[in-house]
Order: sequence, then C-alpha cells, then structure tokens
Amino acid sequence: MAICSAHTTTSLHSPCTTVSNTGFRQKQVIFFTSNRRSGRRHGGARTFQVSCSVEKPVVIGLAADSGCGKSTFMRRLTSVFGGAAEPPKGGNPDSNTLISDTTTVICLDDYHSLDRTGRKEKGVTALDPRANNFDLMYEQVKAIKEGQTIEKPIYNHVTGLLDPPEVITPPKIFVIEGLHPMFDERVRDLLDFSIYLDISDDVKFAWKIQRDMAERGHSLESIKASIEARKPDFDAYIDPQKQYADAVIEVLPTQLIPDDNEGKVLRVKLIMKEGVKRFNPVYLFDEGSSITWVPCGRKLTCSYPGIKFAYGPDSYFGHEVSVLEMDGQFDRLDELIYVESHLSNLSTKFYGEVTQQMLKHADFPGSNNGTGLFQTIVGLKIRDLYEQIVAERAGAPAEAAKV
Amino acid sequence: MASTVASLSTPATFAAADVLPRRKVAGRVWFPMARRGGFAVRSSGPATPPEISDKVSDSIKKAEETCADEKGSGECAAAWDEVEELSAAASHARDKLKENNDPLENYCKENPETDECRTYDN
Repeated sequence: MAICSAHTTTSLHSPCTTVSNTGFRQKQVIFFTSNRRSGRRHGGARTFQVSCSVEKPVVIGLAADSGCGKSTFMRRLTSVFGGAAEPPKGGNPDSNTLISDTTTVICLDDYHSLDRTGRKEKGVTALDPRANNFDLMYEQVKAIKEGQTIEKPIYNHVTGLLDPPEVITPPKIFVIEGLHPMFDERVRDLLDFSIYLDISDDVKFAWKIQRDMAERGHSLESIKASIEARKPDFDAYIDPQKQYADAVIEVLPTQLIPDDNEGKVLRVKLIMKEGVKRFNPVYLFDEGSSITWVPCGRKLTCSYPGIKFAYGPDSYFGHEVSVLEMDGQFDRLDELIYVESHLSNLSTKFYGEVTQQMLKHADFPGSNNGTGLFQTIVGLKIRDLYEQIVAERAGAPAEAAKV
Repeated sequence: MASTVASLSTPATFAAADVLPRRKVAGRVWFPMARRGGFAVRSSGPATPPEISDKVSDSIKKAEETCADEKGSGECAAAWDEVEELSAAASHARDKLKENNDPLENYCKENPETDECRTYDN
C-alpha cells in the first residue's frame, strides 16, 4: 500500500522531501521533526526515513452534462470504496468537493475562467472551452497525481462567482467530474480510467422535467428552451468526449413499451472498451458471444414490462467494445439477485455485493434500473483497478517509480 | 453507513433477503423504487431555499427576454445556460436539505456513541 503511516504531529506540517534512491529506484519520504541541521547533529535520531512511496492518487474522470446523474454516480462510487463522501469540514459551505476516507471528488466547474457575469458579457456558455481554464486544470490534476497538495479555486454555483480557493491534499483516489474531464488531451492523458454518462435527449428532457417542473418560474417551455439553447455547445464540446471514455453508460427510452414517452422505464447500455489495461469487461454467460436474455419466466416472475438483457461485442468510434444492455426495471429484490448471479467478471468481493450496494442506496435515483446497476458495476471495476495499481506498486517498486 | 435502528424499514417485498449474508442487508432498506413512483420522489421533498428559487425564476425571465430578439445568439445560449446552472444548484440544495432533515441522523452524526445511535449489524 502506498501509504505513509509513520508520522509525528510535527511531521504533518514539516516539509516532506522525496528522495529518489537510485540504488533501489524506490521513492522515499523523509520527515524532519526539526530543521535539517539539528537533526543531523543529533545523530539523525529525529529524522524518520519512511520507506514508502509518496501517496500517488489513481485519477478517474467522469464526464456528463449538468443534471445527468453525476452526483448520484459519485455517491455510489464512494460507497463502493467504503464510507460516505462529505463536503470538506469547516470550509466554504458552497464547496463542490466531496471527501471520503479514500476518495476526493472535485467538480471541474471550479476551473471556470469566466464567472457568470463574464460568460454573459462574452455570450459564451459554461460548456464552451473559452469559459474554462484548461491550463490550470492540467497543472493541478498533474500536481495531485504526483502527490502534491493544491489550492483549487471554488466556483460558487449559487452566486456564479469564483470564491477563494480551498486546499486539496492527494487522496488514494482522485475523481474529476464535470463537463470537460476528457476535453483537453493533457488532462485526458492523466486519467487512469474515464467514464462518460450519455443521456439521450428524450431521457434528459424527462429527467429535467422531474427535477425542475415544481420549481417556480419553470414550465415545459422553459425546460425545453434551456436544453435546446445549450445543445449546439453540448454537441460541439461535451458529446465528442465519449469516444475517449473507457466506459460509457448510455441511457435510452425503453423498447419494452411501444411508443413510451414517459421516460420512467429505461434501456441502459454499459459500453466497455476492450484492451484497457486493468479493466476486464463484465459479461453475460459467455464472454464474446452475442446474447439476448429475458430472466423472467418459470424461475423468476417479473411484473410489467419485464426485464430484458443483451450482451455482445460491438464497435464504438472505431474501438472494439463489449456492450451489456438492460431494458426494464427491477421490481423485486430476487430479480436483482438472480441477474447478479448470471453476470461474470463483476469484480465483487463476495456473492451478492452488487445487490447489497443497490439496496444500500435504494433511495438514490435509478436504483431499480440499469443506471444504478451499471454505475455500481463501474464502481466495482474502479475499485478493482485501484487495487491492481496498488498491488503493482507494492510488488514492483522499480516500476512504480516510473509511473 | 450510519443508519440507526429507528430508520430501518422493512417493506413487504423483502422476502428474498435471506439469500444474502444477513449482515450485508442491515441498514436502510427501501425496495423497490418503482412502488414509490420512480424518480418523481423529489417533488414530495423539501422546497428550494427562497434565495436560490428567486434566482431561478429571475434567470428564466431574463433568458426569455434575451432570446426574444436574438434567438440562437451566444447571449441567448448563455442566458439559458445560467438557468440550467441555477436549476441544478436548486436541485442540489433540495437534496442537501433532504439529507439533513432527519434530526436523529443529525444528532447521531455528532454523537455516534450514545445508546440511541447504536447500530446492530449482526
């Protein structure tokens, strides 16, 4: 594990020097409890040499439009890692950051270069790269990945202003979520894993009606107008990022109910890129085959409109992918358990872990359909990826030094 | 994680629970969502704080005015983008209120050791 557990009270604030020992090619951290000179003079008794790597976070990118379930996904993801994610204690109450024992999630809106007034004056949306500071984003994500502490700006979504920065220390897992995690090539190259939430226009409209209809001033027209006005920039700058994602969760209207336009029953696809290091796609029954599966029948009774799964190889933006699809919704617990028992390569630690996670957050949106199921599975896959990276670093320090 | 005894609810549809290790299903359990009206649940939740609510309705008015003369302009898109941003902020604010509106949960966050906040996993 790449954790420095040996520390004293003073060492928390003392400079942490990284010394590259060429003999062992292993990074070492030295904590000085007093200044360098007195430490040496007293025979090094006050100098701790901790033989471990600097905390180097695994960096994950999550891209999606506003109002498309990033927050829910983040709550599921941090839950898979254990422990609830909370806003930083004692900081700006409008901070967009979430911190748990293992994970820190930052919102990329914090890298807006233009505040709300600035965007209005220039006539650009937040989706437009001109409203975002990719240089700073790159520098800070790179610094965190190298184990350094950063002072990140805070974009205040209520006032539309940039608030004074907050200090972010490197966690085990660092997630950048927002509109543009894969837009800038330099930032993209820092990501160990990337996810894109692709919500179809129909579903987006239905979700925003659910979210906004009760809000004073909103109407069907205003919700529609907002989606339409943002769409050109969305199509130009956000949507193209999905080609770079290691996993895409695509949310579509159901095909189980003819001409359904309620948007309550969903067809959800989990598109998993093949050949991604440390990521083994989930499969149904037989890896690489094309399969359609209706779990409802003699063994399992489902209520209307039922559940339908599909799995198979496909091509996505020229990449070889595996696609797992679920249409319909879980109405009973035994349906979920039954489905889980037929999926392979889930990276669970015990039988029923997917079901357990889904139940734990049954009050989150999507817990009864493919969005919740696939978000949970991606969470497990990221945990697996993280554990592989940690094991590699522990097993081969020489390799870790190169990362 | 910090669920309390009081927040446990056991729906009738929970028949298959004994398939799982018991410890793993302890906690807050509501299932299924479908019975509760899908994702329409939010409308029954707390109201948006008025300071954000006002901003949302103002932004809609402004967007409609801006776009009346120049639909398709950058200004029009920026104005509706502001509506989206504030609507999302309003939704997050409601979620926050919903999370923080159980007095027992709030008390137990601060005082996890007290008798009424004990959780029994096994």
